[in-house]
Amino acid sequence: MAEAESVGGYAATEQRDSWVTGTLVLFCLASTVVTVVAGLIQVSFGEYSMTFLQAWKAVFNPTVIFDLNAWVSFLFGTERPDMSTNSIVVWNLRLPRVFVGIITGATLAVSGAIFQAVTRNELASPFILGVSSGAGFAVLATLVVFSGLAPFLPLIAALGGTLAFGVVYAIAWKGGTSPVRLVLAGVIVNMVFQSLQQGLFFFADDLGVVQTAIAWITGSLTGTGWEEVRIAILPALISIGIALAGARQLNVLMLGENTARSLGMRVERVRFFLSGVAILAASVAIAVAGVVSFFGLVVPHIVRNTVGGDYRRLMVGCVFAGPALMVTADVGARLAMGGTQMPVGVVTGLIGGPYFLYLMRKQQSMGEL
Amino acid sequence: MARTQRNTDRERTRITDDNGVAIESALVGDGLELSYPSSDGPVVECTRLDIPEEAVTALVGPNGSGKSTLLKALSSHLEPDTGTVRIHGENLDSFSQKELARELGVLSQENDSLGSISVEDLVYHGRYPHRGFFDGTDEADHRAVERAIELAGIDEIRDTELGQLSGGQKQLAWIAMVLAQDTDVLLLDEPTTFLDVHHQFRVLETIRQLNEEKGVTVAVILHDIAQAARFADYLVAMHDGELYDWGPPEEVVTEQLLADVFGIEAVVEYEPELQVLPKRALPDR
Repeated sequence: MAEAESVGGYAATEQRDSWVTGTLVLFCLASTVVTVVAGLIQVSFGEYSMTFLQAWKAVFNPTVIFDLNAWVSFLFGTERPDMSTNSIVVWNLRLPRVFVGIITGATLAVSGAIFQAVTRNELASPFILGVSSGAGFAVLATLVVFSGLAPFLPLIAALGGTLAFGVVYAIAWKGGTSPVRLVLAGVIVNMVFQSLQQGLFFFADDLGVVQTAIAWITGSLTGTGWEEVRIAILPALISIGIALAGARQLNVLMLGENTARSLGMRVERVRFFLSGVAILAASVAIAVAGVVSFFGLVVPHIVRNTVGGDYRRLMVGCVFAGPALMVTADVGARLAMGGTQMPVGVVTGLIGGPYFLYLMRKQQSMGEL
Repeated sequence: MARTQRNTDRERTRITDDNGVAIESALVGDGLELSYPSSDGPVVECTRLDIPEEAVTALVGPNGSGKSTLLKALSSHLEPDTGTVRIHGENLDSFSQKELARELGVLSQENDSLGSISVEDLVYHGRYPHRGFFDGTDEADHRAVERAIELAGIDEIRDTELGQLSGGQKQLAWIAMVLAQDTDVLLLDEPTTFLDVHHQFRVLETIRQLNEEKGVTVAVILHDIAQAARFADYLVAMHDGELYDWGPPEEVVTEQLLADVFGIEAVVEYEPELQVLPKRALPDR
C-alpha cells in the first residue's frame, strides 16, 4: 500500500513539472512564426528597393550574423565593420525597428499581465494605473517647455510613469491598498495627467513639436534604431526575467489578499515589488516607443483565453505573443498607408479595441480572471 | 473526558484531563481588545481565551457576536488594540509571516472565486510558506499535497477546475489547501456554512480525522450550535463581543445559554448524548 502510494507520488511529481502544456508550446511556436514572418515582410519593403530574396539573404547573411564585431557595434554603438549596402539597409535601418517592436511588445504584455494580477482586475494595465499618462505628460512637458532635455526623453518618460504610479499608490494607500482603490485612484490620476497634456498643447508654438509629441503619446516605432535597442534591452531582460520568476507569487496573489496572507505572503511588499517590475517593463516600452495604447490590456487577455489563467503559462505566453502582435501591428503601421507611416499605437488601438469587444461578447466568463 | 474547575471569581478557568493534569493551550489570547478602523469602540473584549492543544474547539455565537473578529486576531490578520496572542507560548509578533504560516493554517470565511485553477494547483499553493522565492516543489511538498488530497477525499476531482465544482467540493478543495500547509494549529471560519448536509459532514469528519491522527489543534467557527455541541471537544460561546462561557459542551450548552446567547427556546438533552432541540425564537430580541 505504501509502495503504491509512493509510486503515485512520483507520477504526480512528473506531472507537476510539466505545467508546460501542448497548447502553450503550440501557442509560442505560432507566435514565433508570426513574429519572424512579420519581421521578414518589414525588412523587405522600404525606400531603398530590394527584392524579397535580396532582403532575406541580407537578413540571414552569415558574414553579419556570425561577425562578433558587427554585434558589438550594434549593441555597444562602436564603429560598424564594412558590409554590403543591402546588409547595411537591412541590419542597420530596418531590423532594429523589428527588434524594438519585439522588446516593446514583450514588455508591455508582461507589464499588463502583472498589473492585472496585482490589482486582481480585468481592466488593469499600465494605462489605468497612471503609468502611461504620467510618462506621456513628462514627454510632452519636455518637448514643449524644457526642450533642452530632449536627449534624455526615455529616462524622463520612465520617471514620469514612476511618479504617476507613486501618486496613485499614495492615494490608494490607507493602511494597505485594495485593488479597487488602486484602479479608482489610477483613473483619477489618469484624468488629471491627460488634462495637463491637453493643456500643454496650447503652449506648443511649433507644429513639428506637436507632431513629435503626438507620435509619442500614441506610440510609434518610426525611426527607431540600434540606439533604442541599446536603451531597452537590459531593463527589458531584467523585468521579464523577474516577471517569469515571480509568476508563482502572482498565482498566490490571485487567491485573494486574505488567503495570500494566511499562506505567509507579505502581500503589500510583494504587490509593491511586482508593481515596480511592471512599471520598469512599461517604462522600457514607453521610453523607446511612446505610449502604445491598448496593448498592455489586450494581449494578456488573448493569451489567457488560449493558455489559461495560470500565470506561469500566461507569462511565457505573453513574452511570445506580445512581440508577434507588436511586430505585425507595426508592419501595418508602416506599410498599410503606402507613403505615410502611422504611429503603431493607432493600429493597436484600431485592432485591439474591436478585438477586445469581440472577446467580451464571446466569453461568458470575461469578468473573472 | 475533560472537566473544568472554576475559580471562585469565575474569571479564570483551568482545563484538566481526567487525572487532573492541566492541558496546555496551543493558542492563548490575553487581554484582547479588538476593533476595526471604521468601528467606534472595541468590537471584541476578551480577558482570556484558550484554544487547548490537540483538541477541537468550536467558537459559537449569533451573527455579529465577534467570532470572526476574534479569529482574525488569533491569526494575525487583525492587530489587537491591546493584549497579545501567543502560539505555543510565543508572541505572534515574533514570527515572520512565513514562519507563522508554517505554524498556523487559516481558512477565511469568504474565498474569492477563482474559476480557472485546478484543484491540485490550488492545493499546491498550500505549500507556499515552505518554499523560497525561486524554489520548485520537492518530495516533501508532493507528500504533503497527496496526504491533504487524500484526507479531504477529493482525489477524483483533483484535475477539475475550481469553477466547475459545487460549493461543497470547492470548500473541500480549499480545506485541502490549508491541510497541505502542514501546520499544528488550524483556524477555520465557518467552513460548513452554505454546504449541504453531506458536505457538512465530510468537512467535519476531515477535521476530526486530522485532529485524531495528527494531533492538530483546531479552532473552528460553527454556525449551528447543535452541530457544534456534538462535534467539538470544547465550546467557546460569544455574545456581544464578549466571552459568555467556555468549556466542554456538556457544561457550556444549557437552556439558559441558548436563551441568553442565541435568543431561542430550546430543549437540551444530555442522555444518551448531548442534543440540542431548538423550539422557537424568543420574542424580546
